[in-house]
Amino acid sequence: MLSFTVRRLFYSLLVIFGVVTVVFFIMNLLPDPARMMQGQRADLATQAAIRHQLGLDLPPWQRYVRFIGDVAQGNLGRSWSSNRPVLTSIWERFGATATLAISAMAIATILGIGIGILTAVRSYTFIDNISMLFALVGISIPAFVMGLLAMLIFGAWLDWLPVSGYMWEGGDLHIEYLILPMLVLALRPVSIIARVTRSSMLETLSSDYVRTAKAKGVSWRSIVYRHALRNALNPVVTTVSAWLAGLLVGTYFIEYIFNWPGIGLQAVDAITRSDFPIIQGTVIFSAVIFVVVNFIVDILYARLDPRVKLV
Amino acid sequence: MEVERYPKNPMHPINPGSEDPAVEEIREELLARGSVPTRLTKEETDRRRMENEHVLKQQPHSLGYYSWRRMRRNKLAMAGLVITIVLIVVAVLAPVLAPFDPNLQVLEYSTMPVGFHGNVLLTKSEVNPNLTIPIPIAEYRIQGDRVIYTTEEGFDKSIPVARLAGNSEQEWHKTPTYYLGTDRFGRDVLSRLMFGARVSLTVAFFAEMCSLLIGVLLGSLAGFYRGWVDDGLMWFTNVVWSIPSLLLIIAISIALGLGMWQTIFAIGITEWVDMARIVRGQFFSLRETEYVEATKALGLSNKRTIFRHILPNSLGPIIVIATAGFANAIIYEASLSFLGLGVQPPTSTWGQMIHDGYGFIAAGSNWGLTIFPALAIMIAVFAFNLFGDGLRDAFDPKLKR
Repeated sequence: MLSFTVRRLFYSLLVIFGVVTVVFFIMNLLPDPARMMQGQRADLATQAAIRHQLGLDLPPWQRYVRFIGDVAQGNLGRSWSSNRPVLTSIWERFGATATLAISAMAIATILGIGIGILTAVRSYTFIDNISMLFALVGISIPAFVMGLLAMLIFGAWLDWLPVSGYMWEGGDLHIEYLILPMLVLALRPVSIIARVTRSSMLETLSSDYVRTAKAKGVSWRSIVYRHALRNALNPVVTTVSAWLAGLLVGTYFIEYIFNWPGIGLQAVDAITRSDFPIIQGTVIFSAVIFVVVNFIVDILYARLDPRVKLV
Repeated sequence: MEVERYPKNPMHPINPGSEDPAVEEIREELLARGSVPTRLTKEETDRRRMENEHVLKQQPHSLGYYSWRRMRRNKLAMAGLVITIVLIVVAVLAPVLAPFDPNLQVLEYSTMPVGFHGNVLLTKSEVNPNLTIPIPIAEYRIQGDRVIYTTEEGFDKSIPVARLAGNSEQEWHKTPTYYLGTDRFGRDVLSRLMFGARVSLTVAFFAEMCSLLIGVLLGSLAGFYRGWVDDGLMWFTNVVWSIPSLLLIIAISIALGLGMWQTIFAIGITEWVDMARIVRGQFFSLRETEYVEATKALGLSNKRTIFRHILPNSLGPIIVIATAGFANAIIYEASLSFLGLGVQPPTSTWGQMIHDGYGFIAAGSNWGLTIFPALAIMIAVFAFNLFGDGLRDAFDPKLKR
């Protein structure tokens, strides 16, 4: 187990190293930062000074080594627009994103597994067909489209919920600001978790041990929850963790549309301002979070499920 | 005439002439009951064979044939297919089908409601005689060789008939219908939607081809050679997987400059991860099959084994993932253009139309400008997903209903 953990840890570091390399490569394709920062009329001396300050006058391999060293020390550079350290700005806003992502995933997990069990037990009935059709609709709606529709219906027409803003306004908690973005964000994961749960449950429900349990006279309730569900949860846990990791690192459109001050909104703002250090920092930060969540899930898996082989 | 094919078993009641009287007795008894099969004559055998020749000649059908037969019974999947075909037809024939030029601005008709009727005089452009420019009017009358018209603001103006486009009154006076209303610049929403379908489908198609190529190539290499090739490629796959897709697409398209081919490339080189994994998994399981082992015994080259034996047998999952990828590519294209990073104006795209329209939502007006392109995206993606789900069920015999 320990050697497994160490190996996974090493592999995760290797993946992060790869991400940093890819980011370095892409950022090198971008137009000259010194000119972008100063505009077209900047004099050559200023541009040269900026290039020197950013280390752009060094040969590529030296810049690469420097970049890796900086990232390893947690130095992601400074924002071009605010001149604040990128990591500080990202870290400040991560709380808002995490609140949104975790609450959305909590709802999505409960609802998704519930719908998945219901539709698997009542498979190929009306309720199954209609739920699966809705799940497919849920998968087919892009996040920003759903966000706008929700804004239009619940905000503009029905006027039930506020459509824009953060729940901590002036030190007070306004939970109503969370509801709409959270529900919109949960829609896609709910659909996918429901589909995964259903197909996994259908597989376990048709297995031999469920038939044996039926033959023994175990109650239907117990068969569904203790025999089938437990064995069906494996792919569900994978899906939930992948989505949690995915939402933690970016709910760009939902944050943008609902004006929710997380790292996604910051990244979209940075894109419109061509603030590349922020974008670059967000990519690396997101990848690290993603890898860390997956690492933790892998370890938990190996501990909790004896069927998982330690590779 | 009886033809001997096999040596007769004298003990069997089917064969007359047994020397054993006991057998003869049984035979007679069975004959009386009518339960002794009679041996067929050669003529009869040949006749029956001829009759069923088409069955004997039949080849077993391909996986595609059986999948298609299963698929045809799935109504939802067929609905998805039909919608997809309609979308493709609309996209290809957009210049013919669209009632207006998608970029024609009539500023007087800005943000008009659904089903609005225009009232315009068509005039020849002074710069380009082939171009016609519509002038919105309230009413008009012909006076000699001039047309006197009242503008929407109520001013009377006049124009020589010679400057109007066309020869008859029907040709230069039109009352066009804007079925889905107009946008901020007085452009027809329906026409822009139709032209937007072109962009969406083109980008999604080429992006998916790109990621299909990368995914299948890397997946086959990793799955076939295993060992360090697999380790290296899977590491790279994990690296790309760990970067949020949307951010990666955005970063690549900014790095390459904005435009249609850049968008296609950015989506294509980001979205191959699922494909590579599926193909690799297929190779892992198919490598263990007997027919792949046989190719080794026959001394076939690796290339031939991969392209002629393993890949054709993984076609089902590849098609399924490609369809899902196509739907995702539509979403990514729309997301990019929503942020203004996709195909650039004046080309109309669905995402960009939503972006232009959604400012009105907070004001609670002109919701059509957001809803119609949103519906277009939803319908396109939904149709593709329906079709893809149907394909998955059709290719997977385990899921047979």
